[in-house]
Amino acid sequence: MLDLRNLTKRFGKGDSAFTALHEVSFSIKEGEFFTLLGPSGCGKTTLLRMIAGFEPPSGGALVLDGRDIAQMPPNRRPVNTVFQNYALFPHMTVAENVGFALSAMGRPKAEISETTVRMLDLVQLSHLAHRKSGELSGGQQQRVALARALAPKPRILLLDEPLSALDMKLRKEMQVELKRLQQETRLTFVFVTHDQEEALTMSDRIAVMNGGRIQQIATPRELYDQPANRFVAGFIGETNFLPAHCTKGLLTLPQAAASLPVSYADGPVTLMVRPEHILLGETQASALTLTARVERLVYFGTDTHVHLQAEGELTLIARVQNGMRSGAPYREGETVTISLPSEALRLLPQEVA
Amino acid sequence: MSDRGFDIRRLPGAAPLAITCFVILYIPMAILVFNSFNAGKSIGDWEGLSLQWYAAALQNEAFLNAARTSLILATISALIATVIATLAALSTTRSKTFRGEASINMLLNQPLMVPEIVLAIALLIIVAQIKQATGYAGLGYLILAHSAFCIPFAYMPIRARLEGMDLTLETAAADLYASRFYTFRKVTLPLLAPAILAGFMLAFVISLDDVVISEFLKSPGQDTLPTYLLGELRRNLTSEIYAISSLLLLISVLIVAGSWLLTRRKT
Amino acid sequence: MDAEARLQQDDTRRRWALALPAVTIITLFSILPLVLVVVYSFLTPGDFGNVKWQLSFEGWFGVLFERDIFDDTVSFSDAHLTILGRSVALSLATTFITLVLGVPTAWFIATRPARQRAFWLFMITIPFWTNLLVRTIAVQEMIRSEGVFNSLFLWLRVIDAPIQMMFTNFAVLLGMAYVFLPLMVLPVYAAIEKFDFRLAEAAYDLYASRLYCARKVILPIVRPGIIAGSILVFIPSLSAYVTPRIMGGGKSMMLGNLIEMQFGQGRNWPLGAALALTLTALVLVALVWYTRLTSGKRKDV
Repeated sequence: MLDLRNLTKRFGKGDSAFTALHEVSFSIKEGEFFTLLGPSGCGKTTLLRMIAGFEPPSGGALVLDGRDIAQMPPNRRPVNTVFQNYALFPHMTVAENVGFALSAMGRPKAEISETTVRMLDLVQLSHLAHRKSGELSGGQQQRVALARALAPKPRILLLDEPLSALDMKLRKEMQVELKRLQQETRLTFVFVTHDQEEALTMSDRIAVMNGGRIQQIATPRELYDQPANRFVAGFIGETNFLPAHCTKGLLTLPQAAASLPVSYADGPVTLMVRPEHILLGETQASALTLTARVERLVYFGTDTHVHLQAEGELTLIARVQNGMRSGAPYREGETVTISLPSEALRLLPQEVA
Repeated sequence: MSDRGFDIRRLPGAAPLAITCFVILYIPMAILVFNSFNAGKSIGDWEGLSLQWYAAALQNEAFLNAARTSLILATISALIATVIATLAALSTTRSKTFRGEASINMLLNQPLMVPEIVLAIALLIIVAQIKQATGYAGLGYLILAHSAFCIPFAYMPIRARLEGMDLTLETAAADLYASRFYTFRKVTLPLLAPAILAGFMLAFVISLDDVVISEFLKSPGQDTLPTYLLGELRRNLTSEIYAISSLLLLISVLIVAGSWLLTRRKT
Repeated sequence: MDAEARLQQDDTRRRWALALPAVTIITLFSILPLVLVVVYSFLTPGDFGNVKWQLSFEGWFGVLFERDIFDDTVSFSDAHLTILGRSVALSLATTFITLVLGVPTAWFIATRPARQRAFWLFMITIPFWTNLLVRTIAVQEMIRSEGVFNSLFLWLRVIDAPIQMMFTNFAVLLGMAYVFLPLMVLPVYAAIEKFDFRLAEAAYDLYASRLYCARKVILPIVRPGIIAGSILVFIPSLSAYVTPRIMGGGKSMMLGNLIEMQFGQGRNWPLGAALALTLTALVLVALVWYTRLTSGKRKDV
């Protein structure tokens, strides 16, 4: 439904020019919860502002329902935004805020008030309709901002880090709420965040961005299990990276005795393994096995992080679930055998740091 | 709170000097008001409380004319200055610098840098020429001249408010299908209103206070309150002058109190 | 890039259009007249005021010199030098007096608890916004022959006859100090108010002596305010017209009154124009000195 084709954004001119987006192309499907995820400065907000129409693209096309809207001003795009700081109009009541878009479009009064009531119902704020927006709590302002952006029935709802100003507990509640709203309204949501957990729990698909480029677009599970590159692997979840080598279909790790057969191009590779997939004190048929020393144990409640040191300055972190028995499974300084099962290993091209 | 014995905030001698300062500021004004109610001619000549000087002033055609001129002049000039300053403030705020911005800013502050007496004779020179050429001798010269030197004063609070305004509010309005004009009318203007009112009040007071420029530019019969007072002073110091001065003082107090309440309520 | 450049061009054009009324009215009623003053200062005085369109440097010559009517010998104009000297001296004295009274007052207001502070600030704003002429009349009432002081002293039998205080340098100084005092208090207050007094407590906590504290802490706090306040008092003092006219009359004239005279009974518009430009130049020098001082300061910090 929304196609981004070679979208490029440059700021400044001459020597001080800076390219915020490098020919970004992808498609967003009708009714999906799509997230743009990346560290600050990766271009995700610029991309969102370009979809909203606040930032003209320096090149490329933005096709919504078959029409190029790249040069269309924001007030004509069927796209609405929930702003990071909510941007509620302080001199208007909650109801006036929610009805703003319909009033601006010159819709009849009856329709405006009917929609306003319905929207406030949807975000459970009917009792506050006549308050000034400045008198609301952060969470309530958030809901008003949502209702206001949903009221004109946009084709796409854009959300610019809307939860970042809320405290932890409220943020978790709003995550659930947002997902419920999206499923109820069957709208397309484009959500911007730097919080990987937020992205994983809510999204249908996630685009991971870095340095003005898309790194990978995939479902949360694919991103976690099959990261396309070292950046994605490192940005989402915790990961161990091990330098390894491929020769004639055999993967060798200097610290492990045996090799594993793999289908991968010859040469140096980066081996990636999630901490929870490392087996401690067990051996397995199809695995790389090595010995390491327990350096430190960090208790996290549900599990314990075991910091390991193997030959050749190789440090690894393994995660062991805490059972019902009390007491640590290992002691610091102890030497253990660890296995990296072949199904947990991902091979990534070696990148120059 | 502590027995350190020395609080940096308590500068020795500051309080007595400050009180002296306030006494010095208020005694002459108090005596002026007092004299305006004195049936006698001066402070040494107390003949009882009386409103006769106010009554005399209110029957004085020349004073009433001057008051009318002042009111019309200050209202129209302040209105023009405020509208123009609002437009100018919208031009110079909330964007990356644009070509010519520095010159516009310099121009807007220019009337503040030139001594009033210099501006007065400068205007006299040009207005004398125009009067001679066109024969028009109406209030128009004064209105335009007052508007010009009131612009920087009206501009200051409006610009300050615009600079502090959250830009995303207007972005949000545009996102919600509002046209540029609708956004200005429904979002920018209501949020700017207190500053515009403050700017108008400032311009009004500045215009009302002006002596020098009005004195030089007025045609016969165009006395404003201050030029009328100045002319009366040259003739004789009558108690009616105290009454008129007290009235002007009252206007200042009312305006200051009004703007005070306005800004108080906002914060 | 083309679309963006076009947008920016549109924006610049829109912004200029918004500023156009202000630019026009200020150009017509403030800049253009000043240009005409420059032109007039090089013309010949007309017989009944105004000018003859003949090039002449007599206007500028007359600012500092005069020519003997009989033998054409050139000498410094005593009258003009006296007035020029008086203008500068009285303005400096006014600045000094307002400093002495204004700084402690500003300090006092800024160190009150918030609620009281609003009240005191209000008290200083009222005279600030009261008509200059009214305030001059008020201070005149204090010292004129039938005024407050003379009446009081006569009644106390300290004096037998009223003392003539009006139309002297003292009267002008008193009047200017009185009317410009709020102009000193407000900027000094603004400077002190910005200061975080916990810093001073920290300095004191670190065993700074009282004097050291005053020198190292208080002075830097009030310094920017003092500079701004001094310029705000000095410039209007130097160009004062109304107050010296009432308090000094014809006996203690200042530059502003001398300029006015050339356009009134003096009927020498070119000389008046040259004097006006001289005054403007003095004011600009003060302003340039001020910007140097403040921008230099900003670089240090």
